[in-house]
Amino acid sequence: MDWSLGIYITLFIGLYFEVFLLISFIEHQPAKKTTARPTHFPRVSMVVPCWNEETTVAGTLDSLLALDYPKDKLEILVIDDGSTDKTGEIVTAYHAKHPHIILHRKENGGKYSAMNWGIEHSSGELIGFLDADSFVAEDGLIEMVKTFQEKPEMMALAPSMKVFRPRRMIELMQQVEYTFGVFYKKMFDNLSAISVLPGPFSIYRREVFEKIGLFRHAHNTEDMEMTFRMHAHGLKLSNAHTAHVYTTVPKTTWKLVKQRTRWSQGFLQNSQEYSFMYLNPRFGNFGMVVLPFGLIAFASALYCGGYVLLHLGSSIINRALDLWATRIPPHLTAPHLEWFYLNTSMMTFLILITLSMTFFAVYVGNTIVKNKLTLKSYLSYFLLFGFIAPVWLARAAWGALRAQESSWR
Amino acid sequence: MSWKKYILAFGITAAIFGTAFYITARLDAERIADIRATENQISIDILSSETQFELLGNLDCSTVSSSPVLLGELNSLASRLSVAESNLGSSNSDVVQLKKQYSLLEIKDYVLMREVAQKCHLKPVYILYFYTNDGSCQDCARAGEVLTYLRGQYPTLRVYSFDYNLDLSALHTLTSLRSLSGQLPAFVINNRAPVYGFKSVDQLETLIPELKTLATSTSAAK
Repeated sequence: MDWSLGIYITLFIGLYFEVFLLISFIEHQPAKKTTARPTHFPRVSMVVPCWNEETTVAGTLDSLLALDYPKDKLEILVIDDGSTDKTGEIVTAYHAKHPHIILHRKENGGKYSAMNWGIEHSSGELIGFLDADSFVAEDGLIEMVKTFQEKPEMMALAPSMKVFRPRRMIELMQQVEYTFGVFYKKMFDNLSAISVLPGPFSIYRREVFEKIGLFRHAHNTEDMEMTFRMHAHGLKLSNAHTAHVYTTVPKTTWKLVKQRTRWSQGFLQNSQEYSFMYLNPRFGNFGMVVLPFGLIAFASALYCGGYVLLHLGSSIINRALDLWATRIPPHLTAPHLEWFYLNTSMMTFLILITLSMTFFAVYVGNTIVKNKLTLKSYLSYFLLFGFIAPVWLARAAWGALRAQESSWR
Repeated sequence: MSWKKYILAFGITAAIFGTAFYITARLDAERIADIRATENQISIDILSSETQFELLGNLDCSTVSSSPVLLGELNSLASRLSVAESNLGSSNSDVVQLKKQYSLLEIKDYVLMREVAQKCHLKPVYILYFYTNDGSCQDCARAGEVLTYLRGQYPTLRVYSFDYNLDLSALHTLTSLRSLSGQLPAFVINNRAPVYGFKSVDQLETLIPELKTLATSTSAAK
């Protein structure tokens, strides 16, 4: 059986999706940041759920304190979800200096419960969330509030996410991936089909929770489930691409795989619960494009990963067996440099086109967030991502099949 | 929701696929043309050598022995044919045609080489190698690798490789002359009886003691 047919189908679907997003980009290019100020400053509650975040919570609070926003209009609620480290002490020290930082301590109940605790104890017209390992840009809140005022029909906004001080290859890989994600989020926004309001610095109007309820456990992906639920109830959400937030990313491959397994498994399990939205024109591009393509991309990436792994594995084994059987001593052969010997198969061209479009998407994303992407960043992404992603996808698929909950850490 | 955008995206994607297909087909056609041109050139060269051979009668052996007949060109052609075969498939009609022509050229070169050797008292070392890539010969690819390696090590070693199942009367005549049983891979080394089955580098070097008389690629480079 020629398994490469599956790769061609995958490439067609992947290219179709990228072309679709590029058309969307040409139709609505992201607006540039302006120096305009909001017409008024609504009261904002920033909720910081944390559990054992002693190493990063101070930085998170510093970034909130540095926000360019009237202090009397900003409430900071730190919800300590039963930390066993010095998180509580650090926040208490901050409260002593900055009384508008309020610490709530509760028994450990999971992130969603800490977020709900924050909502219930907040007073803001807008309620934002900021993971305790993330740091918001000084003008981030101003940009969010401006977007809410420009688009009064929007019930929630997602920011543009950047990786905080990437150094290792695995972090550099994620830096490019997040930049790519900035493009994707903006294009999904053009389609009114944002698929997730991330934990770092998404902001909701209070009415959202009054209308459709609080966060749920949702297979440890409460932010994704809330986004699905908002789409299901016809509540609009958008992307404030000029509002930037920096987040710390997993520094080791294993931690990354665990994090992404949780996200991917959450996507599968939430998809199951919201299956009525799939290919349902009532839910617009979210139901017709983003959800089905998300699932197809999931399956395709697994297929391609398996295909490459099998081919690579069998090539290495066959090569070793050949060398053993032929007794050809290790030697170097000069490569053919003539065009005749170049790989000019159709698949090569299609892969190159897909990679070029991916590169373009990263470039567009970078014009928004202005990351310092280096050659090492790109190499890390193009060399590592394709090999690591199938691992978490396979784990997520296996976990979802066994109906097993993914773990947080 | 705008259906136009869905259809436009589909059209552009299909156009990208169509363009990739067209470019690939054009490049493959260029490759076939390139091989055909090389084969024509070799054909002219062989004809020229044959004519020269017939004209001279009492051959000037110093001229012929110092310039091995078409060895490099045939080797290069073989590797190009192999690329075309792997891109287009061994059943592609152009590939089959080119392989037939290549086999004929090899046979002509082989015959000429033997005649020259006889008249000039040369002792060339050559291997007639018979293979198939129809999937029935698991060891043929490995045998090909061994011969490629040996050819690299001994630049004057002449390897004539033939697809055993190629429908070519001259090739049938050669296989019957050499009394091949049909078992593959098969090697005919310097006019000796055929040897069957896969042979490693060490085994082939033992089977061909004459290799020691040939210059190696490292000694030739000095």
